[in-house]
Amino acid sequence: MIDTIRRRPLALLAGVVLAQVLLLAFQIKRENGEDHVRLVRYWAVEMLTPLERAGTLAFSKISGVWYGYVSLHDARAENQKLRGEVEQLRLRNQQLESRVAEEQRLGVLQSFREAHPEAAMLAAEVIGASADPTSHTLFINRGEHDHIRRNLGVITPDGVVGKIVEVFPASAQVLLINDKDSGVGALIASTRTHGVVKGSGDPEPRMEYIVNDEKVQVGEAITTSGEDRIFPKDLPIGTIASADPGNPFQVIRIRPAARLDRLEEVLVLLSQKELTPKKTDGGSVAPSAPSSPSSQPKTGALKSAPTANQTAGIKSPALEPQR
Amino acid sequence: MSYMLNPGAESESNIEVHKYYSGTVLGAALLALVLQAFLHKYGRWSELIDLPLLVTIYFGVSRRNPVTGLFLGAAIGIFQDALSHDPIGLYGIAKTIVGYVASSIGARIDTEHPASRFGLIFLFFHFHQVVLTITQHVLLDLQTPFFSPRLLLDSIVTAGAGIVLFALLDRLRRSS
Repeated sequence: MIDTIRRRPLALLAGVVLAQVLLLAFQIKRENGEDHVRLVRYWAVEMLTPLERAGTLAFSKISGVWYGYVSLHDARAENQKLRGEVEQLRLRNQQLESRVAEEQRLGVLQSFREAHPEAAMLAAEVIGASADPTSHTLFINRGEHDHIRRNLGVITPDGVVGKIVEVFPASAQVLLINDKDSGVGALIASTRTHGVVKGSGDPEPRMEYIVNDEKVQVGEAITTSGEDRIFPKDLPIGTIASADPGNPFQVIRIRPAARLDRLEEVLVLLSQKELTPKKTDGGSVAPSAPSSPSSQPKTGALKSAPTANQTAGIKSPALEPQR
Repeated sequence: MSYMLNPGAESESNIEVHKYYSGTVLGAALLALVLQAFLHKYGRWSELIDLPLLVTIYFGVSRRNPVTGLFLGAAIGIFQDALSHDPIGLYGIAKTIVGYVASSIGARIDTEHPASRFGLIFLFFHFHQVVLTITQHVLLDLQTPFFSPRLLLDSIVTAGAGIVLFALLDRLRRSS
């Protein structure tokens, strides 16, 4: 029988094909033919699905190994790359934030200059500080080339910073008001009492020559008096931080209006010409310096500070121009 | 290719009948069916290759026995039908005939060269498609095309994959 089949494979082919054709025809004739070959499908599926399941399991294991270990190398490289990008973006962000802050500060300076066209000012950038920790000085990027000379006042829109003590071709040294060698003619804004703001070496300068009988209150504004011939009158210096009786004068500590520890841009006053009041944002004219003590603002905002009032007062050695 | 186009280039007596380790044919056929069904889950690219057809052709031309060739083709085809939603016998008929023809051709020509294998698989792919389409037209009244660009692509990819698969299966031959 087997030999017969082997000798006539074509007949066998025809038989096998015919059998399948009949099977097909049988399935097609029955509308629900699926049921009649379910056993064949069942066997096939039962035979192959365990292999598929094993394949799926193996594939998932291999995938797990791949993603867990092999692909980890790529993840590490990608992580390093992304970390580098984050660092670059962070640095870039800091640069941009710094630039925005600088623009804002310069905008404030520009606004201040535009608000006081009568006073010649020169914007300068702080480029360094003193190497001596006890010396409160700064270096700015303006010098002889910019017509900077000694004893010019240096301010910010917040208040007085100091004065030029040394001039170089392209830079200048600024003595801050809290330096122990500094002295600024000052007055208590509310009472118009004159004194001298001197540096003590501490962050907070002191107002001297205020007698014990004079009533001063913490928080009162201190402004320039103009007697030192460096700063125009009524520029804000700061506010009284504390006042204690002393011998023979009170010991008054001043909280500077300008943030002396965070200066980045300053204005150099090229003359001692007084600053006149300008219109405020609301369109009203800022109050000029009062003739009576009660009308003087305690915070001493720059726009509301100037006055034409010339007051004679004491002359301290500290007010003398220094070399 | 010349071997395939010129069957008389070598006499039938010179054609070597390859033998395989036991279970090789069954294992390869099952693996092909499983992979064909399994790989579909991981992308449509696997549809480009007809692994069961490749196994049918390979063992047909290698063993050069039309009887085993047609039975192997029938078994693989019926399993393929059973694992699909098609009526059982559709692929069975096509692969039965392919298995028989491959065995018959394999008994007359040498199909060891990759180029001849590529051509052989390419032709068998379309032959298989023709038988399948005729069956669909006649028995199932389905108007499927005999040829399309997609089928051409499938045949080229299957032929290319077949060269690699045949080389792998050659390593399972039992040395005589």
